[in-house]
Amino acid sequence: MAAATQIETVTITVNDLELTVPKGELIVESVKRLGFEIPIFCYHPRMKPVGMCRMCIVEVGFKQPDGSVRKMPKPQAACTLPASEGMVVYTDTEAVHRDRKGVLEFLLVNHPLDCPICDRGGECPLQNNTLFYGPSTSRYVEIKRHLPKAYPLSKYVTLDLERCIQCGRCVRFTEEISGDSQLAFRFRGANMQPSTFGLMEFESKFSGNVIEICPVGALTSSKYRFRARPWDLQTRPAICTNCSNGCNVWMDYRVDKVVRINGRTNEAINEEWTCDRGKFGHDFYNSPDRLNVPLVRRGTALVETNWSEAYSDCIRAFTSSTNTAGLGGNANSNEDLFAWKKLFNEGFKSNELDYNWTKVAPIADPTHAKPSIASIEDAPSILVFGSSLADELPIVFLRVRKAWFKNGAKVIVAHDQATDADSFAELVLNYQPGTEATLAQALADAKAGKSVEAAAKLTGVPAEKIAAAAAHLTSSTAIITSHELLNRPGAHDALGALKGLGELRNYALNANDQGAAEIGIGTGTKRSAQILADARDGKLDALWLLGVDPFEVCEDHDLVQAALENVAFLVVQAHTKNGAFPYASVVLPMTAPAEADGTYTNADRHIQRFGAVLPAKGEAKPAWKAFSEISLRLKPGRPWFNADEVGRALGAEVAAFANHSFNQLPTEGLPLV
Amino acid sequence: MSELVQLGAPHDRPRPPRADELNLRFSEQGIHELEALKTHYPDLKSCILPGLWIAQREYGGFLDGAAIAEVAHRLNRSYAEVEGVATFYTMYNTAHKPGKHKLELCTCLSCHLCGSYRLRDYIKSKLGISHGETTEDGLFTMEEVECLDACDRAPLMQVGDQYYGPLDEAKLDALIDQLRNTEGSTVVKMADEIVQVHLRDVERHK
Amino acid sequence: MSLGIYKGIVKPITSGLGITYRRLKHKKVTVSYPEEMREQFPRTRWRHFLTRYESGLERCIGCSLCAGACPARCINVVAAENTDEARYSPGERYAVRYEINMIRCIFCGYCQDACPTGAIVLRKNFELADYHREDFIYTKDRLLEEYPGQSDEPYTSNRKEWAEARADEKRR
Repeated sequence: MAAATQIETVTITVNDLELTVPKGELIVESVKRLGFEIPIFCYHPRMKPVGMCRMCIVEVGFKQPDGSVRKMPKPQAACTLPASEGMVVYTDTEAVHRDRKGVLEFLLVNHPLDCPICDRGGECPLQNNTLFYGPSTSRYVEIKRHLPKAYPLSKYVTLDLERCIQCGRCVRFTEEISGDSQLAFRFRGANMQPSTFGLMEFESKFSGNVIEICPVGALTSSKYRFRARPWDLQTRPAICTNCSNGCNVWMDYRVDKVVRINGRTNEAINEEWTCDRGKFGHDFYNSPDRLNVPLVRRGTALVETNWSEAYSDCIRAFTSSTNTAGLGGNANSNEDLFAWKKLFNEGFKSNELDYNWTKVAPIADPTHAKPSIASIEDAPSILVFGSSLADELPIVFLRVRKAWFKNGAKVIVAHDQATDADSFAELVLNYQPGTEATLAQALADAKAGKSVEAAAKLTGVPAEKIAAAAAHLTSSTAIITSHELLNRPGAHDALGALKGLGELRNYALNANDQGAAEIGIGTGTKRSAQILADARDGKLDALWLLGVDPFEVCEDHDLVQAALENVAFLVVQAHTKNGAFPYASVVLPMTAPAEADGTYTNADRHIQRFGAVLPAKGEAKPAWKAFSEISLRLKPGRPWFNADEVGRALGAEVAAFANHSFNQLPTEGLPLV
Repeated sequence: MSELVQLGAPHDRPRPPRADELNLRFSEQGIHELEALKTHYPDLKSCILPGLWIAQREYGGFLDGAAIAEVAHRLNRSYAEVEGVATFYTMYNTAHKPGKHKLELCTCLSCHLCGSYRLRDYIKSKLGISHGETTEDGLFTMEEVECLDACDRAPLMQVGDQYYGPLDEAKLDALIDQLRNTEGSTVVKMADEIVQVHLRDVERHK
Repeated sequence: MSLGIYKGIVKPITSGLGITYRRLKHKKVTVSYPEEMREQFPRTRWRHFLTRYESGLERCIGCSLCAGACPARCINVVAAENTDEARYSPGERYAVRYEINMIRCIFCGYCQDACPTGAIVLRKNFELADYHREDFIYTKDRLLEEYPGQSDEPYTSNRKEWAEARADEKRR
């Protein structure tokens, strides 16, 4: 940040302890500095305070000139009260205790208390606050409000209106954080209900977060519904591998089955949010299609075998020719990728590895990914170019929105279709598909004061709009693009033009795409599409598919099918049966990300550790272990025994990873050197 | 609790309409007025209330889902947000389609003591409607409302923007007969009047 | 006969037999189990049972509170959702699996205490020996068996009423 500014402070007194805090800080935050606790429901540090639940009431007074304290006649809500000079706060008096009891008794008047069957039971703020601050009995004997229970708002979210205490956290989340405003309060008073428009489908890419921030069981997860109680669960820190953002999550598992994923706070990556793709995308761990034993093709059938035989087959095919290649692209750890590269380079004498499936290769310039995701927040203006962020990198989208919502950043969106970011964009440059490079060059020209009329005609964006957008671009503008741009014509030209306009970020899309690039996968002579084309034409003797399902990542399905049919020898190393499985010559079962130790590099080159959460399925091995064992057969020596050793070897070879091995990384990860 | 909408069965859950699926029904005049109103506020959020009044007029006095969706679409707000506003205020008819005239009978303390329940029962016997119901000919809707702030005229009834009271059976008969033959104070007309109040002179259509 | 033999053999035997003789006139305390059973104390806790409502629906709602309270961690509950077609318990949730590992169980009765619906109860059936380890895992089917005297046992969640009912029963 810029030069440290003098923070204006005030001195307040909390429970007879003097405390200096920034002027205007909310009392509910100030008392945390002294370790006092104020119970809350509706207050959330990342959202605007509303003072709806009245749980945080405290006694407040002001110091008089004679030294006495004059208390306000009524208790105040600490969550909406800014600190001011001479303020005296009491959080622990008889009156506060009595008031809290009263608030809780009122909140419980209409709460069904069906805790035994509620998914929130056991980790419920309402339960906890009632236990600590509430009355032990209720005086309410009348019939409670009755509303239909367990209404599925969407595939993921179940709404139980009876349990709602009307704190408005979910409503504010959709308004302030995710920005889709899908939830709102309908009706008023005791009948107030948070719901979607006409209780229709809750269409949000971030709907899972409202489940986590709901302080009662009103919004619960449909997928986790009745799967476990909190005391049945074991929780381990994990990294989400559904996209390249590398969100920190908690993985909750019960008897070796993942049942739930919750957000884990990491200010540098995802704050505390998750997207629905990550939060609910854990089905494959428990899939019946998981591969448990190595398979080899004997005649036309794939038969179960042992690792030794499978290795022999692979070695025979890959050492008899140097015309071999490998394709990856699905959430492999840095260790896997390094061991893979090492095996191919030294064991199989080939460097035709690719992990990236975009039409043109990403520019091998680490500065393209260096500015951190967190730094987007501080940018005065943001240009989102050719990327539908909410679909491609949902958590980056939240950062961009936060920069606009909190810090007033001007957001310019350039895309050939409508995107979610249009709703808060200062300018939307809706260009003709395929004119990315022209538009990027036009922005640069407009910045330099040149005429952009020709470009305006070509791209379909009015010249004055281009000029207005260019006027917002400064050297500190965050320019956000993703590898999706690399599928468009003239991608490199566009990136080149954008580079001079601000801090360019070209984020990778799949988990550890960035890591693969850093390790040097994709430095061969052929790109993934070329490797497939060679395989189709029978020019390739053996192909190794590491985790990837080419049918998923490559749009040209005919090419993929022809390639897989015509390649002489195909190794499919995967954790789940995928599209390439029927064509395999050898199938090697691999652990899924949560089943082995490993480190992952995210889009902004932040490297994070992901310790094994679950045991490996069947005979599945981490990919690096399989590679290490094959290397051992080719050249006897000392194998790697654990992921940390692989990481240290990687650090010794690739400078960026020095001192970034599994055991050397802190919990919150480190940026790459 | 009558205004609580019952939740449908899970499989009935539809998805909200896309922008191109909306059946926009605002008249030329309505569009013109809304465009004028939009210029009055720095934030389109503030325009929701007058927008809903226009919709209440254009949709015949009843703000159904389509009306709310149209207002939201025209003001570029989310459907849920506009629905939240519409269902908060009781003068927007969101629960049921009202008749031509809305009889709003005060049943708060003063009126109650002066016999508003008697009048309520009388309306029930005369028109066959009780709270929230509409006569079969679609002329009258009866609603019991909270204090109308004119206790000196208890028992009181509000029709459109007019207060009638103190009422008794004979006066009620006369009032109903008068309303049958008049076009004033209808629900739609009330909505129009409120829209006109929001507009500046130059922006008014007529 | 030396003094040693008298002191070492005769005296102990006669005095021991004397005790036996004196006990002969006391009432017998042993019972010939298993033909005869001793009466159990009223609060004896042995085998678990899952109870039902009069309607036949299970009381258990699969809330797992028993498993949470269990100090020996011997209870495993897997819950699922009732549907109108397949209804096992009133409300939304029921236990699709309910297992108690009787080898681990220490019969503390905390599960019974924790149960919000009075579904799990410990009764006096103490003959729990078996030949196979697997047979000590009491599944839901076995736990739902009716226990002796279940039909005329007045169940209520109110402890005071329950005590009164028990007292009534005793008086009768």
